[in-house]
Amino acid sequence: MKPVISLNFIDYMILGAYVLITIVVGYALKKYMKTSEDFFLSGRSLPSWITSLAFLSANLGALEVIGMVANSAKYGILTVHFYWIGAIPAMIFLGLFMMPFYYSTKVRSVPEYLKHRYNEATRGLNAVSFAIMTLLMSGISMYAMALLFELTLGWSLTSSILLSALVVLIYVFFGGLSSSIYNEVIQFFLIWLGLLPVVYIGLHAVGGFEGLVSRIPPSFMHVWQHMGSASDNPMGVDWLGMVLGLGFVLSFGYWTTDFLVVQRAMASEDLSAARRTPLMASFPKMLVPIIVVIPGLLAVALLPQFKVVPGGPTPDYNSALILMFAHYLPNGILGLAITGLLASFMSGMAGNVTAFNTVWTYDIYGSYIKKNMPDGHYLKMGKYATVFGVIFSIGTAYIVQSFPNLMDYMQLIFTFFNAPLFATFLLGMFWKKTTPWGGFWGLLIGISTAAFHYLMYQMHFIHYPSEMAANFYQAWWAWCADFVFTIIISLFTKRKEESELVGLVYGLTPKAHSGDSLFRKPAFWGVLSLVVMVVLNIIFW
Amino acid sequence: MGNTEPRRHFFDLKIPLGSLLGFYGLLLLVYGIFGPSDIYDKSAHLDVNAIWGVLMIVLSSAFLLSAYRGRKAKK
Repeated sequence: MKPVISLNFIDYMILGAYVLITIVVGYALKKYMKTSEDFFLSGRSLPSWITSLAFLSANLGALEVIGMVANSAKYGILTVHFYWIGAIPAMIFLGLFMMPFYYSTKVRSVPEYLKHRYNEATRGLNAVSFAIMTLLMSGISMYAMALLFELTLGWSLTSSILLSALVVLIYVFFGGLSSSIYNEVIQFFLIWLGLLPVVYIGLHAVGGFEGLVSRIPPSFMHVWQHMGSASDNPMGVDWLGMVLGLGFVLSFGYWTTDFLVVQRAMASEDLSAARRTPLMASFPKMLVPIIVVIPGLLAVALLPQFKVVPGGPTPDYNSALILMFAHYLPNGILGLAITGLLASFMSGMAGNVTAFNTVWTYDIYGSYIKKNMPDGHYLKMGKYATVFGVIFSIGTAYIVQSFPNLMDYMQLIFTFFNAPLFATFLLGMFWKKTTPWGGFWGLLIGISTAAFHYLMYQMHFIHYPSEMAANFYQAWWAWCADFVFTIIISLFTKRKEESELVGLVYGLTPKAHSGDSLFRKPAFWGVLSLVVMVVLNIIFW
Repeated sequence: MGNTEPRRHFFDLKIPLGSLLGFYGLLLLVYGIFGPSDIYDKSAHLDVNAIWGVLMIVLSSAFLLSAYRGRKAKK
């Protein structure tokens, strides 16, 4: 197949300048990396505008961007559920209620919190599964990105993989989390500036927003109206599955317990800034549909291959964004768009790598392999972990290349771990009677429930209208199992002394009184964010 | 920040960010004005390079200006 996009020297200059600046930023941060906390937690010194943009950017990986544009071309505006109900309430909850426990206890990672609140076994279970998942995930997205670039730009798989992995390796190696975060902020702006032109030109070509609406199926323009029953909307999910599965379990599981995002907030300069991080991030998050949903809708309206024809061939939705680039962007701005995609890929990968090197060094190496070494030893280990983390990701990318089906399976297996974890945290943080072994076994039962449910669904013992509905309900039942069994087992096992739980559990922690002005108050931003989200849902009802 | 504990800050991120966007802005603006014009047939006849160039120059100036003021305030 002939590449659909050809770049010229201007495009390459734009790409080159981006690569150069990321490395310069990483290198310039090198001299600040004196202790392991500098490397893994940015010395807890960053202002909230930086951490909140990084918080968002680390999640806005290339798979996410490409996949959500594809979803929008397939399901229409329903895709905003992943950005509004599927993210905002969880981000608000993290900022208002959970962040004090993460930040004030000075834990250095999410697994470390589990150790203090529960026990070593719970931490181990979470740390090992998280470390493996992040590396596999970064390999998978590296492969997906390289494949896309091979098909559209004609770059070889190996050169894309090596180029992107090497750049990320260099800047994380030198500047650790700070470098990752600084670059994520730069990437945030490049993703927006790179993707907005296609929205602008596309809307211009289609005759404005009204022109767009007139050219797509009516069901593509309503967020809730067709959610009454699963058969009425293209996603095949009813409102209950959406609210419980995506809005509650999957979203809270991801945004409040995934160290990849939580780590960004933990790098803030003080508790108030840490709490504001997810809250401030929620506003641009609500706007992300502008750059992912609209291009998907525009592809349906403007490109003939995405017209829905009953009985016709299924379009390759994953190519929707790239084809929009190819059709509407002239050289120059085209280079910027490709840079934006590359930036989103690197931000996702660096997020994975920094989360991995921290969990590996503190929660696995420092806890089970070599305890109580001087701090400099762990700083060095963090740098080694960055190197072998990247190498392992590259390996994964090549394994996935030989077995493409692995990609779907792996992504699915990750949901086994993510969904129930939120129940473990919720009970741990808000119910002081939760016991260490209650937490551990509850989590394990939750994970097993997800796996069991998946098997039942695959063997056709359970039926759902769509794959997505199966996913949402699976998350819900895994969460319930974790929640119920953690409570039951806690009633029969030994509790921790209350004195050990101070700072870790709600009710045993003195309330932080903040003398902040209104605009620095987390509660103000939380309420405002919630109001804006509700209004948006009503407008696009 | 109402914080008694002094914090050590890294260099100001707005400087590399503003510089990169400024470079892009100039590059796109120059290419949009002096480069070939037939490439805009595909972009609904909009010279998006020049438009985007101006926008990025404005954004870049805002970042650099705010970094400059921040530095002055520190001194």
